[in-house]
Order: sequence, then structure tokens, then C-alpha cells
Amino acid sequence: MTGFVASDTVVIGVGNTLLSDDGVGVHAARRLQTDPRLPAGVTILDGGTLGLELIPYASDASRLLFLDAVNAAVSPGTLTRMTGSELLGCSGGWNVHQLGVADLIAALALVSAEPQEIVVLGLQPGYTDWGTSLSPEIESALPALVDAALSELGRWAQLGDARSGSQPLVHSEASSNDRRRGLDPDGGC
Amino acid sequence: MARIVVDPVTRIEGHLRIEAQVDGGVITDAWSSGTMFRGIELILRGRDPREAWIWAQRICGVCTMVHALASVNAVEAALDIEVPDNARLIRNIIAATQTIQDHVVHFYHLHALDWVDVVSALKADPAKTSQLAQSISDWPTSSTKYFKGVQDRVSALVANRQLSLFGSGYWGHPGYRLPPEANLMAVAHYLEALVFQKEFIRIHAVLGGKNPHLQTFLVGGMATSLDPDEPGATVNLERIDFLLQVARTAAGFVSQVYIPDVLAVAGFYRDWFERGEGLGNFMSYGAYPQGSIKSPANFFLPQGIILNRDLSKVYPVDPENVAEYIAHSWYAYSSGDQMARHPYEGETKPNYTGPKPPYEFLNVEQKYSWLKAPRYQDKSMEVGPLARLLVAYASGHTEVKKLVDSTLQSLKAPPTALFSTLGRIAARALETQLLANHLVEWIEQLANNMAKGNLLNHNGQKWDPSSWPDSARGFGFFEAPRGSLGHWVEIENQAIKNYQAVVPSTWNAGPRDAHGQRGAYEAALLKTPVADPDRPLEILRTIHSFDPCLACAVHVLDARGQIRAKASA
Repeated sequence: MTGFVASDTVVIGVGNTLLSDDGVGVHAARRLQTDPRLPAGVTILDGGTLGLELIPYASDASRLLFLDAVNAAVSPGTLTRMTGSELLGCSGGWNVHQLGVADLIAALALVSAEPQEIVVLGLQPGYTDWGTSLSPEIESALPALVDAALSELGRWAQLGDARSGSQPLVHSEASSNDRRRGLDPDGGC
Repeated sequence: MARIVVDPVTRIEGHLRIEAQVDGGVITDAWSSGTMFRGIELILRGRDPREAWIWAQRICGVCTMVHALASVNAVEAALDIEVPDNARLIRNIIAATQTIQDHVVHFYHLHALDWVDVVSALKADPAKTSQLAQSISDWPTSSTKYFKGVQDRVSALVANRQLSLFGSGYWGHPGYRLPPEANLMAVAHYLEALVFQKEFIRIHAVLGGKNPHLQTFLVGGMATSLDPDEPGATVNLERIDFLLQVARTAAGFVSQVYIPDVLAVAGFYRDWFERGEGLGNFMSYGAYPQGSIKSPANFFLPQGIILNRDLSKVYPVDPENVAEYIAHSWYAYSSGDQMARHPYEGETKPNYTGPKPPYEFLNVEQKYSWLKAPRYQDKSMEVGPLARLLVAYASGHTEVKKLVDSTLQSLKAPPTALFSTLGRIAARALETQLLANHLVEWIEQLANNMAKGNLLNHNGQKWDPSSWPDSARGFGFFEAPRGSLGHWVEIENQAIKNYQAVVPSTWNAGPRDAHGQRGAYEAALLKTPVADPDRPLEILRTIHSFDPCLACAVHVLDARGQIRAKASA
């Protein structure tokens, strides 16, 4: 009883919905939940600003999609896509949330029985002061984030059950790597 | 003379900046700056007080439920609502679960690596590690093969540079003193604690709904459905059995892994019983009502204040005596920046006067933090597990006294050793043990109530806003894992007129007040030796011993990442 999440594919929206655009991941997850295009068997969660506390909800899935606000030092509303393997080497810091989705991903690598395929999709936030609504730029970019999430989920659905032996996919996107390096004046990850 | 800057200080959470003045290898002064801009009242003004908790639980990243609880407590205090016994028990169970979870995660995942050198663990002899583990505990996972497996796994991750959680330590610093075998044992338990927390938090999933944010709080009680025989009820007999099983497993982990590890680590770092002592003033609002919340005298963890390290006296707490200064905080008060304001009269008008980033140092003579400086009767207070344990100890709490005395005896340390960095760590571990034991009791009491046919979980007498007075104010409080949490709500014409939260990390991490009195972090760093100003491990040890939670605090776009230390002439 009381298994947390039975789905093979889990989407977690993270962010603080009290801090305007910081909550964009949660807003996107809520939209995704009611989107008729959502493939069957996907679980969607509102992760708020939780960190390691999300392990129980995330560790049994073989595919994880995080929706988040990502500071890539680009113009507000710009979409960034990264994979778990790209994030494994870097601890916290560059992500908008102090929780460090990167730290969560590292912890998942330690507790999960099998390697997980992890993708992070995020929008560059504009305004992150106290407030419960998104800024106009982010509000208008939200459908693009939802579409990107759906296309990720659609691709996974086409590939079939990740547990049936297919190789974990490793994606790399030079552009997002470059952005990340550009973000970090100290040269660490 | 050198000024050291550590920014940010937290390993996984937060954004906290410490500046410390080091003279002759010893800290002579310190300043703590947080980036929390507290604007919760901007969100809550005008809303229905019955839904305040839903918003309030988003204030903090790691302990969402404590804000939900403080919020419903505040509204219930304002409207004079008593919750039924079952709701009290469920709240105690949920809150104790949060605290146990938080303390375990803090010790292993946020603090242990200040004392445990992961790189040294790779050199350990697994057979000797097994002997060591078996000499201090009956915990079953302790074979040579097990420790060899852990060592291989961590080696592989380190070799692949894939272990970001382990990436921020000052490995090889002369301050690390554990032998390789103790390091390996601790690293193994670091991994076990990840699994522990994953299983333990299922208590919240049962009582709060299968969502990372609890859904079952309600002004007047809880929305958890109770029925011993109904399979669809949130709490039935089957679920009670499950809760008991999880709680007992947790108590076993705490007594067989967490406590022995803390004692083992402490044995190698005894000088840290004399460092980081701090203010000497401690406050606890009290927590875990055993009857009405209006009778703090009957709380499981008592309410009280200790001044100047004098354990012979416990002073009462009156929330009217709390006030916040902004003399060194980036705000402006309409009555002038030198006066303190009570939270009911709280104002949040930002007034940033600090240097333009990037900057080298803060101007600590002026305003230097986004945290306000809360004071009790104009005194700085330390809050948290050590404060709670000391207040209980000094109040003559039998169980706490026994536990503390026996621990001090096994460490061959006097009670004054508690006023220290290691004292905070030990107090947190002992509190975890106490709460794990009582968790089982509270679940059993809930089962007893249900067996007697008492299924009442909500008092709806004042649910209808037409039954409320035109205006009301209430103080809601709880001892969150990190310390005293207070919410102040003012209700007028059935809507929230003002709302203020004073969170534990403001008490501990706050800056100086108008009288120049230091906050708890600032005071605790004084006199601490720093061996290597480029790698100020000692500062991290003391600050982390408070369990800094600037998750409440921080949501800044900052890409700087790792702990940074900088020395200047």
C-alpha cells in the first residue's frame, strides 16, 4: 500500500508560486495536467520548492521531466533544455531554486535502482519578486513550455516502456552547455 | 588581519553570506547577511483567513508544513477555535515526522561532510570498518562486503566526477580528524539516510494526501477522514498498522545509526564542545500540545526562555515581547529605523542601501542584510533543537533530563559542553530520538480514540465567516525543526488585514539590532580558530550546526554555486 507514484513517467513542476516567474514550472505542470494531448499514464506533480523531499516521488520512475525556471542569462521567456547527465556534475547554484534540482538528480542517481532518463525544461524568468501571477513575457511563453513538455512526453511514449531494455538516452545540447558556462563567473559547474 | 567571505554557506539550500574578521588565526567579529525579502503579507492581504495556510506553506522550501501549521494555529487563535483531540494528534504526528525527517537529512546530507572526509573514506579498510560499526551499534548492515560495496560505488562516482553532493567539501583539510574507517562508515550511512527519508516520509503521504505538499490542514481541525473499518478512509486500522510500522522502523534507525554516529563523530572532535557557544540566550515557544493549545504548560516540549546560560531559571514567553529591528536591515520603518516594531505593527518596506553587486564586502556599519533582527525584550535569542532541549532540561522534563544526562555521561562531558557547536548537533540527535519514540505513542492514541468510536476531526462551529467578530488578531506558533516559528494574523471584515511571519532563521541568522547586539550566528563565530582562511571549514561547522534554512529566504538568481572563500589583507 501507499506506494507514492506508480507511473513510469513523472513530470515535476518546481518553483515558488509566491515569487512570480519563479513558479513558472508549477504553472506549466498545472496546465499540462488538464491538456487533452497529455499521454496516458503520466503522473504530474507540483514539487514546489522541495528538494531531497521529492526523492520518494521521483525515485521509482524511469523517466523524469522537470519543469522549472532556469537562469541561463538569456532574455525572459527563452526556453532551455538540459538532460540529467549534463546536470550530474554540478551542484546547485545556477538553478533559480536554491533547492538545486541538480542536487536532487545527484541524490536520485544514488538511490535509484536503475539509471533514469531525466530532462529539465525551463524558461528564463523575468520578474521574481513577491507575487502570485506570471509576468506578461512569461505568461505568453508558457504555452511553448507546455508544448515542449508534451513533445518530450510524446517522444518517450513512442519509444515505449523504458524498463523493457532500451538504452538510456543521453542527449547533449552544446548551446545549453555554453549558456551554463556563460552563467558561471567562477568557472565551476 | 583578513576578512573572510563565505557565500553561500549552505551545502544544498540557500543563500546566506557570512563575513568574518580573522586576527591571528581567530575570528574576532562576524556578520551574517541573508537575502530573504519577507513579503508574505503582500500576498495574503485581503484573502480569506481560512486559506492562508495554503499560501503560507509555500514560504519555505524544505519545511512547508510548519508554515501551514503555524498559519492554522494563528487563525484558530484569532477566532478562538479549539481543535478536536484527533486533529491535535494528527498534527503532532505530522509535525514530529517533519522534524525527525529534517534532522536526519540535516545531519547526514547537509552537515556530516563538515566532519567526514569522503576522499579519506576511499582509503578505508572495509574489514576494519565493519569491526568499528559492529562495536558501536547492532545495526544489521555492517558486513565487510557491504562497506566494500559502498566504497566501490563512491569511488566510481568520484572517478566519473558525478557526485555533486560530495563535491563541495574541503577534502584533505587538516581539520578533518576521523580515521578512514569512520569516514567510510559515515558515508555508508549518508547513503542509507537517503533511503531512510524516502521510506519515512510515507507517513505524510498517508496523512496529508499523495502530494509533496500536505493537503489536509483545515482551520478548526484536519480534513483527514477517520474510520477504523472503512477501506476508503484516510486513516483506518490497516493504515494505523502501517504508520506504526514506519514509526518503529524510524525509531530503530535513529537509535542504531544516527545517535551512535553522532557520538562517534563527537569523540574525535571534543574541542568543538568548547567552540561556537554563541549568545547563551535560548527561547522555545513550546510544541506538541498534549491537551489544549492554550495550555503550553502541558506541551510535550515546554515553552520558556533561558538567559546567560543559567539553567537554574526558566522564564515565561509572552509573544507581546517580540519585536523586530531593521537598523541593519534593508528596510525602512515609518516610525524611524532605530525603533523595533511588534509583528502586529510590522512593516515591510524594502530600502536597499548596500553595494551594487558584484562587490567585495558589505558595509556592515550600515544596513547589510535582508533579514530583520527579531528580539525578545530587546535580547537576541538562539532558537532550535538546542534551545528546546535546554528549556526542557531546565524545566525538569524527566525524559529529557535522563536522555541528556546519560549522553553527557557517555561523552564524559559537563552540561556546559552543550553550549557549543557539538552541543547543537547532539541536541538535534537527542530530540530526534525523543520524537521518534513519541510518534509511536501519538499514533497509538489516535488508534485508541478511533477504537472508542471517537472519529471527530474537525470543529466547524466557526467555519462560517458570519460567526466571526468584525476584527480579531491571533498569534500562531510552532517549534519548527530549526526553531521558533510565529505567524501573526489580523482579521478585519472576514478578510486578512495584516499578516507577519517571524521564522527561525531570522532569529538565528539575523543581523545586529539598533543597540549593536549580534545575532546568534554572529555571536557563535566569535573566538573560533580558522586554520586556513582560504578554506574556512570551521565557519561552516558552526553555522551549519544551526541548520541554516535560507530556503525560507532565498530565491535569487545567482550562478556562483560553490562555497567561496576569499581572504584579503
